[in-house]
Amino acid sequence: MSDPKSQLLRGTLHVLILKTLAGGPHHGYAVASRIAERSEGVLGIEDGALYQALHRMQERGWVESEWGHSDMGKRAKFYRLTEDGRRRLRVETASWMKYSDAVMKVLQPAKT
Amino acid sequence: MSEEKKKLHRPITRSARQIMSEVEEEIAVHLEMREAELLGRGLNASEAREEALRQFGDMDGTREACYESDWRMERNVRRKEYLSQIWQDAVHGIRQLRRRPAFAAVAILTLAVGVGANTAVFSAADHVLLRPLPYRDPGRAVTLWETERSSGTRRDVASGNYLEWVERTTSFETLGLAEPWGYDLTGDGPPVAVQAWLVSAGFFESLGVEPMLGRIFLPEDHTADSRVVILSEGLWRRRYGADVSLVGRTIELDSEAATVVGVLPQGIKYPGDRDIWGPKTFAEWELTNRSSSYTFAMARLRPGVVVEEAQADLDRVAAALAEEYPRTNANTGVAIVPLEAQVLGNVRPALLVLLGAVALVLLIASANVATLLLARGLERERELGVRAALGAGQPRLVRQLVTESVVLAALGGGLGLMMAYLGVDALATLVPPELPRAENIAINGRVLLFAVLVSAFTALIFGLAPALRFSRPNLTLPLQGSSRAVTASRGRTRLYRALVISEIALALVLLIGAGLLVRSFQDLLDNDLGFVTEQRAVLQLFLWDQNPTPEQREQRVNEIEERFESTPGVDKVALTSALPFQPEKIDSDGSLTIEGKELPPGQDRRIYTTIVSGDYFEVMGIPLRAGRSFTTEDRMDSYPVAIINESGRRRYFPDEDPIGRRVTIGVMGAPLTREIVGVVGDVLPTTLESEPQPELFIPFSQSLSGHVSFVVRTDTDAAAMLPSLRAQIWQIDPDQSIYHAATVNDMISDTLVERRFHLVLLVSFSVIALLLAIIGIYGVMTFSTSRRTSEIGVRMAMGAKRTDVVTMILRDGIGLSVAGIALGIGGALLLTRFMVHMLYGVTPTDFTTFAAIALVMLIVSAAAAALPAYRAATADPLASLREE
Repeated sequence: MSDPKSQLLRGTLHVLILKTLAGGPHHGYAVASRIAERSEGVLGIEDGALYQALHRMQERGWVESEWGHSDMGKRAKFYRLTEDGRRRLRVETASWMKYSDAVMKVLQPAKT
Repeated sequence: MSEEKKKLHRPITRSARQIMSEVEEEIAVHLEMREAELLGRGLNASEAREEALRQFGDMDGTREACYESDWRMERNVRRKEYLSQIWQDAVHGIRQLRRRPAFAAVAILTLAVGVGANTAVFSAADHVLLRPLPYRDPGRAVTLWETERSSGTRRDVASGNYLEWVERTTSFETLGLAEPWGYDLTGDGPPVAVQAWLVSAGFFESLGVEPMLGRIFLPEDHTADSRVVILSEGLWRRRYGADVSLVGRTIELDSEAATVVGVLPQGIKYPGDRDIWGPKTFAEWELTNRSSSYTFAMARLRPGVVVEEAQADLDRVAAALAEEYPRTNANTGVAIVPLEAQVLGNVRPALLVLLGAVALVLLIASANVATLLLARGLERERELGVRAALGAGQPRLVRQLVTESVVLAALGGGLGLMMAYLGVDALATLVPPELPRAENIAINGRVLLFAVLVSAFTALIFGLAPALRFSRPNLTLPLQGSSRAVTASRGRTRLYRALVISEIALALVLLIGAGLLVRSFQDLLDNDLGFVTEQRAVLQLFLWDQNPTPEQREQRVNEIEERFESTPGVDKVALTSALPFQPEKIDSDGSLTIEGKELPPGQDRRIYTTIVSGDYFEVMGIPLRAGRSFTTEDRMDSYPVAIINESGRRRYFPDEDPIGRRVTIGVMGAPLTREIVGVVGDVLPTTLESEPQPELFIPFSQSLSGHVSFVVRTDTDAAAMLPSLRAQIWQIDPDQSIYHAATVNDMISDTLVERRFHLVLLVSFSVIALLLAIIGIYGVMTFSTSRRTSEIGVRMAMGAKRTDVVTMILRDGIGLSVAGIALGIGGALLLTRFMVHMLYGVTPTDFTTFAAIALVMLIVSAAAAALPAYRAATADPLASLREE
């Protein structure tokens, strides 16, 4: 976890998971694959970190979990957003947008 | 959605091990899926395994973190679950209580009384008894008294004797003396008479009291022309608004300036709580006055000297004095009483008795709650059985019952707290002011806690009893409806019978104690005072300051007398230096001699002297037994005369006619010979308990005292006359202060304050105890008859008459009562002896009281059993059988 890239990502991991689960309940592996897929592998999140984040979010009441069966008929633990989680997602998304806008504004003139 | 949510919600708790294995499983599932994906991309099994682990990263850290997260969450869930269960139990408990309002009300009230009464009285006792006096090293402070050797009675101290003790003893660090005094606070507004003490050098040091402000007296303050005073905290606060800068300023006393040098703290109860303290200087005659006793002496023991050593020291001095001054001191001894015993002596036994009473009430209350809960628990066995059978575990049942008991205890305790606050306020107004530290009694937190714990503990123990029965797995028994035995089970029946019997016994002890006090009070009030109290008012004046010469005083007295007699509603007026029952009463003289009669050595020569006008005996209704009363012929220039009372005649002239005999006494100065012209009846001198004492009356016209009381016989109610009498005095002299104005009845009633206080408290306690015991009997009889409904039904179906049923149940109740009464009488025989100081005219084992109270108890408990008996007998026998 000393990798600076992952350090940066740590704070954003929650919002990524929330976003992913907004589409419906998923087990941990599915969440990991979806984030990798969407970000085209750039973010390179360790699976362990993802699970730690899921459990911490569950403790905070943003997600709930339940054992169920995957598409392949395998037993797996599914996570889904709670009402709190949905609210959290809206707040985090908004602040992320603002943040990245600001960063872009700083970067663009330097580019020209 | 909400359905789904409920499913996801997890009510079932998980253990730590479960959580761990779930975390393991989740990670294993993940790795399996990742490997499957990697295999699909063409890696071989071991490469896929390695890659999956690499992508996972910190395996141990993740496992740990996930487990910890889950465990924290689990704990929260559990806590919430637990709280909600408790809440459910509490709600259930309150619902149960509301379903049985009578049971709830009685149980709560019982607890409240136990907690409230206990806390209030114990707070007072703790405050008065258990805290040390506000004196430095109080163990070394002692009070000194003269004693009459022949009888051993204690009396105040003559200044000459005190000065000899100062001179000749070696046991004391300091000695001091206080003389009762009075000042008029003048200057602003009408004069106010203030009680005061004049204290000698060494007095405050002996008491061990530090001034709150300023200083105590210095040696140079004790000179004839010094005008310095120390005020009490009370006067300083009331009259001077607690002004700190008062010290060093002057106030006006008897129309002269006096400098305030200090303020004493609250609670100086010895020799008495008075408002002004002045420096005492000894007049010439006081230096050798060994017979006229009117001062209070005290001393501080040298470190290491014990009371017995000091007593021996004083005895030695007293023996020497008896030898040197046989005329005055032959019969004079000295007694030493530790200050603590002196101040608390009269109070302690009474308060201990009250504490005992409170403890009994608390016991009765606990027993009552226990019976109620036991009876209730038996009733509820079926409900609990159902719950147990439906799967409620024993812990849950226990918790439910505990919560119910706690709800009960909380409600009872809360109400008790309110009662304690009210009770403490009531006590504070009721407490006689002579009690030390009576002014700021407050609820004592420790006591309250103790009482609450005792009650809560009782509620818990007996509330739990039914739950513990279900620790045995025999759940079916209570479910078999008619398995209810025809008679209640032996063991438990015996337990609650024992509880009721002890309640009756305890209540009986209290009632007997109260009964003895009531009898004492009656006996006291029946005492023949020797004078008439109705329609008599008394106004006490100090004439000295306004009328310094005897001629002025005589004129002023005549003026006032005339004024009074011409006031409508006044029948007759008389004058005296001190009325019976006035605490600062009378001078006594220990050096009586009789002309032509040699009193045997060691014979007590003490006689009280009172100065009265000729009409005094008539106005007071004191009968003249022989000779004549004083007349206008008895003047300053005629031969000095005196009248003796019956007690004096019996002691000094046992077989002779005292009329015409001449006696010599020295009152406040040079001895004077007087001829006895009359004999009057005895009066009780100080309190209703006191015995008549030898007394010599001297005509006012031959001893123009400055300290006079006018006794006014009125046509109607004396109290209504007081304002107009007061106004008459101020019309004559607006600067004349009135020391005391009251009806003679009130004056006597004031001496009963303490006794009345004990009486009221103990009677209230015993009434409470009686009520609780009635509730107990009633509750148990109701319960046990309801348990016997089927038995009664069978009996009646078999032809038993209603009267038979009533008799059967009544006999049962009376049996309990008789057992309780027998036990109670035994307890009372053991305990009432501690009340001996509080009794008057009855012995602690007074048969009448015991018998009367036992009879009352028997009747009351029979009545308490009668209602359930009647109810059972009038019930339809078939219905009571069907109930099964």
